[in-house]
Amino acid sequence: MNDSHEPKMLAFLCNWCSYAGADLAGVSRFQYPPTVRVLRTMCSGRVDSLHMIEGLKSGFDSVLVFG
Amino acid sequence: MSAAEGQAFADFVTELTKTTQELGPFDKEKSRRALGIVENVLTSPRLRWLMGMDRQLTQRENVFHEKLDEGRYRELMRGVVENEYQKALLLDALGDGPLSVREMASATGLPVYTVSMRLGELEKSGRADLHSYEGKTPRFLKVAA
Amino acid sequence: MMGNSESKTVTGAVMVVGGGIAGTQAALDAAEQGFYVYLVEKAPSIGGMMAQLDKTFPTNDCSMCILSPKLVESGRHLNIELLTMSEVDRIEGDAGNFSVTVRERPRYVDFEKCIACGICSEKCPRKVDDEFNMGLNKRKAAYVMYPQAVPLKYLIDGENCIYFQKGKCKACEKYCPAGAVDLGQKEKTHTINVGAIILAAGSKVFDPSVLDTYGYGGHPNIVTSLEFERILSASGPFEGHLVRPSDRKECKRIAWLQCVGSRDTHEGSHTYCSGVCCTYAIKEAVIAREHAKDSLDAAIFYMDMRTYGKDFERYYNRAKNEMGVRFIRSRVHSVGPERLGSPDLRIDYVDEKGSVLSETFDLVVLSQGLEAPADIAEMAKRLQIDLDASKFVQTSSLAPVETSRPGIFVCGFVAGPKDIPSSVIDASAASGACAALLSPARGTLTNEKTYPPEDPVVNDAPKVGVFVCHCGLNIASVVDVPAVREYARNLPGVAYVADNLFTCSQDTQKLIREAIKEHGLNRVVVAACTPRTHEPLFQETIREAGINRYLFEMANIRDQDSWVHQNEPEKATQKAKDLLRMAVAKVALLEPLERMRAELNQGALIVGGGVSGMTAALNLAEQGFKTYLLESAGELGGNALKLKHTWKGESVPEFLGGLRERVMSHPLIEVQLHAGIKSIQGFVGQFITTAEVAGVPRQFEHGVVIIASGAEAYKPKEYLYGKSDRVVLWHELEELFEKDPRKLEEAKSVVFIQCVGSREPDRPYCSKICCTASVKEAIELKERKPDLQIYVLYRDLRTYGLREELYTKARSLGIMFIRFPVDEKPVVETVRENGKELLSITVRDHVLDRPVRITADYLKLATAIVPKGEKELAGFLNIPLNQDGFFLEAHMKLRPVEFAVDGIFLCGLAHYPKPLDESIAQAKAAAAKAAGVLSRPYIEVEPVVSSVNKDDCTGCGLCEKACPFGAIRRHEIAGKGLRAESIAASCKGCGVCAAACPQKAIDIVHFRDTQIVAAIRAGGESA
Repeated sequence: MNDSHEPKMLAFLCNWCSYAGADLAGVSRFQYPPTVRVLRTMCSGRVDSLHMIEGLKSGFDSVLVFG
Repeated sequence: MSAAEGQAFADFVTELTKTTQELGPFDKEKSRRALGIVENVLTSPRLRWLMGMDRQLTQRENVFHEKLDEGRYRELMRGVVENEYQKALLLDALGDGPLSVREMASATGLPVYTVSMRLGELEKSGRADLHSYEGKTPRFLKVAA
Repeated sequence: MMGNSESKTVTGAVMVVGGGIAGTQAALDAAEQGFYVYLVEKAPSIGGMMAQLDKTFPTNDCSMCILSPKLVESGRHLNIELLTMSEVDRIEGDAGNFSVTVRERPRYVDFEKCIACGICSEKCPRKVDDEFNMGLNKRKAAYVMYPQAVPLKYLIDGENCIYFQKGKCKACEKYCPAGAVDLGQKEKTHTINVGAIILAAGSKVFDPSVLDTYGYGGHPNIVTSLEFERILSASGPFEGHLVRPSDRKECKRIAWLQCVGSRDTHEGSHTYCSGVCCTYAIKEAVIAREHAKDSLDAAIFYMDMRTYGKDFERYYNRAKNEMGVRFIRSRVHSVGPERLGSPDLRIDYVDEKGSVLSETFDLVVLSQGLEAPADIAEMAKRLQIDLDASKFVQTSSLAPVETSRPGIFVCGFVAGPKDIPSSVIDASAASGACAALLSPARGTLTNEKTYPPEDPVVNDAPKVGVFVCHCGLNIASVVDVPAVREYARNLPGVAYVADNLFTCSQDTQKLIREAIKEHGLNRVVVAACTPRTHEPLFQETIREAGINRYLFEMANIRDQDSWVHQNEPEKATQKAKDLLRMAVAKVALLEPLERMRAELNQGALIVGGGVSGMTAALNLAEQGFKTYLLESAGELGGNALKLKHTWKGESVPEFLGGLRERVMSHPLIEVQLHAGIKSIQGFVGQFITTAEVAGVPRQFEHGVVIIASGAEAYKPKEYLYGKSDRVVLWHELEELFEKDPRKLEEAKSVVFIQCVGSREPDRPYCSKICCTASVKEAIELKERKPDLQIYVLYRDLRTYGLREELYTKARSLGIMFIRFPVDEKPVVETVRENGKELLSITVRDHVLDRPVRITADYLKLATAIVPKGEKELAGFLNIPLNQDGFFLEAHMKLRPVEFAVDGIFLCGLAHYPKPLDESIAQAKAAAAKAAGVLSRPYIEVEPVVSSVNKDDCTGCGLCEKACPFGAIRRHEIAGKGLRAESIAASCKGCGVCAAACPQKAIDIVHFRDTQIVAAIRAGGESA
């Protein structure tokens, strides 16, 4: 892997599904790169596309929305 | 993704990290203008209206008792996004000062015909106006919101 | 049976005896259902054995982390009174009205005055073995059991105290700054009136020193599994370093020996299976490898691998295939030092093929079984309840939480081997049984919680308190916690920072409250685990300190950081700082909110009319709640209609007949047969279900839902099923012989094949009930026709717990057991012999190591129990299914009958395959949890809802169209036209409306645009 650039990613997770899934990944100790910064919302429907643009403007390299 | 998919989450993050890495660092300074344009598109009432109507249009029906299938809705959406994006490009170009249609076309990379179509729409909604003539060439200006 | 007609008065209080996880859960559930609870614990603190465990199976959750919130909650619950160092002496009276005499031993420390500063312990000159750490280190005679103990009050151990032995010392009394030491305390006796009693006395670990095979006690590096839990634990004697006791050398090779004291006919051992050792050994091996960063040889020596519970098999497969744990099917002959005086240990064993082998290890862990508490016989006498042959409290499969004495219920290990989830289920079930008995007195003895007024500090500039959790080693072994704490100090608005070993423990709650007062904090951030489990605990704490509970935010630096970036400590620390910065940015902008109250419909709807559904319905009806029982078939009974006997021999048809009769005749139960659910709308307190009942559309309004929709048997394609009449499934063999007894008379041989469709790549779970069912049926056949040859072809024989006695009996009757590996399945063909078409089954015998051919008259296939495919039902209620298609509960260990969504509960086979007794217990547990909701006067609704800025709203109606819950509507406002308005009770706070509003006139309270954007911007910066 090319480790010259470690990206920084913003992830929106829904409290009931993907946030719980991310917790389960922890409980199961599934390892993944330390690149995402998670923002919890009560539902992915809360995520306005403008929030995604805000993420890029704020310095993230990519923005992910998990439903 | 469901609450039961811990492995899927880890896999997604690993995969998307790779994708992001391949895209390279995002330079927010260089992209400031592009982001502004996209932001303009996303705040356009027309697009937001269409997004808000998703459930209504595809699952229930409109006032004429018509229902759109997913495919047609997506097509409609794509059309609106394209249209709004072109307008946002024009407004962005006009931000630097009055331009002619041809100048706008070369600044934005859009065909002249498309520029004049979108410009007409912008004029109608009061967001662009005729500024002056340079010889016979009309030049247009952005109207502050 | 208690009906409403009965006018006898009962006492609205419950006594729970034993404060382990089962007792604590029973106490919480009984209190939640409106009863005052006395929780009597023999030890100085509650928590029991679970507090000593490092991690738990199969979720790998840190045991203390998931237990602690329950302990803290019961410690501060207004309607739970803790009586520690206490034992029940005498019980008089009858069900409904008992008078209990409780003896309380002196603590020698004044409970009210002790501030838990620990100076008494520091000054105490007397050191003794620390029993909490299994004697691996020392404690003082003045001590507290463990740092997170509830109640956190010191005590003086009279048996070891120098003053009590020699008449002088009193160092503790002299130095105690609070004047709390009172060496003159005497034993006290309390007389307490309660309506029902729940016995949750727990278990005791088996002491392997009575068996010489294992050399326990003779060598420091032969330890028991509970000792090993303490070695693994961050709060244990070696602070979580994986070293062996003799020379503190880091372990590189560890062996686990299974069935120590279990499944063993030797004098002093138990013949039953302890039910939990296979799984905890796998867990210990996996966690040990995690500690050693994989450079560890972990080997488990076993007879049968019994991973029979939900997600257990998957964990076993991962341990074997991905984590590199070695599993050695063997019989261990002896364990001892490699050479005389050597710290290393040699294990001599015989493998499956009969070869004698030996291996050397640094540490040997004996997977000790569990047994009934030492004083159980005496206790049973005092309580006047019966015990079974293994000294467990006698229960029936059909009434799994009832003892022989009416009004005394039982839960947890004291009633037989069971793991934590089963104990928790039993505990809830026992609380539900109490509630049914005592429902006329519900709420008569309980108190209402009151809070101090909220401090008006919210309007001041943010003064944020940040608490960073070590979580033992869970966070601290990866993330540099002090660095994160120091980083937080300089973040905008932060006025106070601290780090804690366990932020969720009771003593830390006190520290948080003190810090709030002392530093005038008006907002709090906790960087620890996930808000999904721990947010309510901290919110309660800050509310008690006068801060609105919504001025709180968590940064998840464990589940989503330290646990998933174990090999990148620096980056994980960086991520922790980023997450904390985002939380601090958000908390500064949060606003105080009030919870709203919504109306509650006090009815329940139960999906599925099998034993689970009927049991739940009956319990709720007996508690006085209206219940709709919907069954898709034309009669009640479900899978139990096909059962003849339980494994203990009770008659199922008789039980089922009685249960149906009681359900059908109860005035509060409305049974709907041929019912198909079309939709379920609404939320806790106000559900509306539309169903088609026998072709007629019906609508039901109810406050809670219980899912008891069952499961079914897998129909195989393999082993000639459907091609030969001699190949049958499950109950078909019994039916065949019942219809035509001649068939059994003429038969010479019957074969059972286990795991048909279970434990396969596309169905990687154990169906749990098949081993017991086949062994039981084999015994019945053998007893009816002793010359019948019976073969059971199996992969691992999983007659867990007390069911092991069936397996022992089957072997003594001459039933043959032949094991086959998954990649060498038996081959079934038809053959003609003496003009008859019979079956020929070829299987490789694991002892003889060559193929064996059996001619059989009949072949019974124990096929997998498969879910019914409830995607639609799951979709209606927005609840998850697991990878196998069973419903996925809120937490596999401690919330086994609930969902993350409020007001929906789960029981029976829809959760996972299980025998009748476990289904009944789970059904009662689900009913108890449902009753906990239904006995509230109203529903509290989270105020995380949409809010409309009426000045910006243009009344376009997009929000109304976008909302999936019908929770936003337009109203005419005089002179302005239509304006949107949020309907808080229906709103789930999803925010679709806000994202859809073209005017950006809608915001979601607690997730406001400004708050989200602040967190995004903070996240984008670099530390």
